Amino acid sequence: MRRGRSWNAVLVAGLLFFVALVGLPFWWVVSGSFKIPQEIIARVPTMFPQSFTLEHYQKLLSSSDYGTYLVNSLVVSSLSAFITLLLAIPAGYAFFRLEFKGRETYYRIILLAYAFPSIVVLIPLFGMFAKAGLVDTRTALVIVNVAFALPFAIWMLRSFFASIPKEIEEAARLDGGPPLTVLWRIMIPLTAPGIAAVAIFAFVTSWTEYVFASVMILSDARRTIPVGFSGIIGQYQVDWGLLLAGASLAILPVVIVFAFIGRWFVTGLTEGAVK
Amino acid sequence: MAVTELKGVSKSFGVVRVIEPLDLTVESGEFMVIVGPSGCGKSTLLRMVAGLETVSGGSIAIDGVDVTGKEPSERGVAMVFQTYALYPHMSVRDNMAFGLEMAGLPKAEREILVRKAAETLQLEDYLDRKPKQLSGGQRQRVAIGRTIVRDPKVFLFDEPLSNLDAELRVQMRLEIAKLHRELSATMIYVTHDQVEAMTLATRIVVLRDGRIEQVGTPNELYTDPDNTFVAGFIGSPQMNLIPAHVTGTDNKGHALVDVPMLDVSGFAVPLRDPTVDLPTKAVFGVRPEDLIQCDEGATSDFTLTCELVEDLGSNVFLYNAASREDAIVAELPRGTHPAPGDRVPFRVSDGTSYLFSPDGQRL
Repeated sequence: MRRGRSWNAVLVAGLLFFVALVGLPFWWVVSGSFKIPQEIIARVPTMFPQSFTLEHYQKLLSSSDYGTYLVNSLVVSSLSAFITLLLAIPAGYAFFRLEFKGRETYYRIILLAYAFPSIVVLIPLFGMFAKAGLVDTRTALVIVNVAFALPFAIWMLRSFFASIPKEIEEAARLDGGPPLTVLWRIMIPLTAPGIAAVAIFAFVTSWTEYVFASVMILSDARRTIPVGFSGIIGQYQVDWGLLLAGASLAILPVVIVFAFIGRWFVTGLTEGAVK
Repeated sequence: MAVTELKGVSKSFGVVRVIEPLDLTVESGEFMVIVGPSGCGKSTLLRMVAGLETVSGGSIAIDGVDVTGKEPSERGVAMVFQTYALYPHMSVRDNMAFGLEMAGLPKAEREILVRKAAETLQLEDYLDRKPKQLSGGQRQRVAIGRTIVRDPKVFLFDEPLSNLDAELRVQMRLEIAKLHRELSATMIYVTHDQVEAMTLATRIVVLRDGRIEQVGTPNELYTDPDNTFVAGFIGSPQMNLIPAHVTGTDNKGHALVDVPMLDVSGFAVPLRDPTVDLPTKAVFGVRPEDLIQCDEGATSDFTLTCELVEDLGSNVFLYNAASREDAIVAELPRGTHPAPGDRVPFRVSDGTSYLFSPDGQRL
C-alpha cells in the first residue's frame, strides 16, 4: 500500500513530536550540565549552551559522595539483573516446558505480586529484614529488586520460550540432550532478545528504585544514586549545575547497558530453522 | 536395522480418541509408508514411535526391546521433521554433530562421522554454513544428515518433503530411496502424498480416522484394495466408484451387476470371495486407466458423453460431468481430443473391476 504525501507529512510530524517529547528533557539536562550557573538560571533559557564548563562535574565528584553512590548503584543493579536472569530463565522454561498440576494457576498468580504497591509491603519487609540483620546492607536491596523484577521476567521469558518452534526442542530431545543442556545450548541462544530485554528491565528498575533504598539503607556509604543524589539537593536551595551534572552521570550507565546489551536485540534468530 | 512392533497402540487427547488400538509390525530393513488424509493420526502414530507423544494404551517394541516408556533418545530412533527443525544458531557441522556430542563421542570421531554423512548427502561444501544460508533442499539434507550420523535402528520421517517445491520434491524422493537402498535401514515414513507412498514404500499403511484401513505392498493396494477408501485414496485420478445393483452370479465366481449410470446390465465383476452373500445394492469400481477406448465398430461395454477433457501431455482424461464428484473419468490414448458432447465408446479391461458393499467393504 502506498501512502500519500500529506499522510507521510502527518506521520513524520507525529514522530518528531514524540521524539522531542522524549529527547528534549534529555538534551536540557545534558547540555545544562555544561553551562555556567548564570546561563542555567538565565531569564531567557538557551537551547544551545553559550558557555562551557566542567565545574559542576568537578564539584560533584570532589565534594560529594556521588562516586560512592554510583558504585553502590552499579553493584546493586548489576547483581539484581544477574540474579533475576539466573532465576527467571529456568523458572520461565519450567513454566513453559514442564507439565505439573496447577501450572496455569501458578503462572497467573505470580503476576499478583504487582497488585500490591511497594509501599504496602515496605513496613513488614523492613521488620523481616531487621530480624534477619539485613537492614542497611546492599544485599537487602538486591533481594527486594529481584523479588519485584522476577514475576514479570518469568512471565516474559515463558512467552519467548513459547515462540521457539517446538520441533527444534523435539529434535534436541531425540538427539539425547538432557533438559538443562537443551536449555543452555539451544533455548538460551535462541531467546537472546528476550533475555536481553529482561536484563535491561531488571537493571533499570533496580537503577531507579527509590522507596526501598531510602528506607532499608541508613548509612551514607551504602546509598544508591536515587537516594544519595536526592540528598545533594539542599533543603533550602538548589544547585542546578550540580543537579544537572549528577542527572547526566546517572543516565550514563543505563545508556551504556543499552548499547552493550542492545546488540542482542537481533531479529530472525530462528531463521533457517523451520521452512 | 530392527523390527518395530506396535501392539494395541492407541492415543487419546482428553476424550478425543485419535488412534484406535492398532497392531503393526515394521520388518527389519523395510520402508514402511503411512499415508492418509490430514487429521487421520499418522503423524501422531509416528510421534508415539519416536517417543515425543506418550501412548494411551498398548506397547511399542524396537528390536525386541519394549520402549513404550523410554525417552526418545533411548529408543535408537532418529527423526526428520517436516519443518527440518535445524538448530538455527549452529553450523551445519554442529547441527549434525550435536546428537553425537550428547552421546559422548569424542570430537575426532564426531568429525569423521559428520564428514562421511556430508559426503553421502553432498554437503561437504556447506559444513561451516548456518541453516539460513542454505536452500530448502539443502536444509532438508542437513536434517537427514543429522539422523544418518547417529546410525539409528529406525529412521522416522514426518512428511519431510511437503515444504519443498515440486521439482525438489522429486529429487529428494529419489535421494531418500537411494539412501534406503544404501543403508538398508528400517524406515517409517509419514506422508499424505500417495505418489511418495507408491514410489518409496516396500509396504504402505493406509490410515483413516485413527484406524488402519489396509496394509500391503504398493501393488497390492493398487490392484487389490480392501475397501472404497483405499481404492479411492491410492491412484490418481482416483477410482470411479459408481452405484450398482447385483443381479446374480455366473459360474466363474463373478457377480453380475447392473450399473444404471453407465447404462450397463449383467456386467461380470470378479469377486474376492465367490462364496460371499451378495447384497442387492453395491458399488462398482473401475480405475480411469482400466477403461479402454474402443475403435469404431468394435464391441464396447458402454459409452461416455464427453463433458471435459484434461490433457496432461503424457495422459489425457475424459470427464463425463464438469464436477469431479459426479464425473466418471476415463483415460484416453495420448493425443486424443474428443469434443464436448462426443459420445466415446469404452470397454473395461479384463479383470480390473471391483465390487464393494454399500458400506465400502470389498466383496
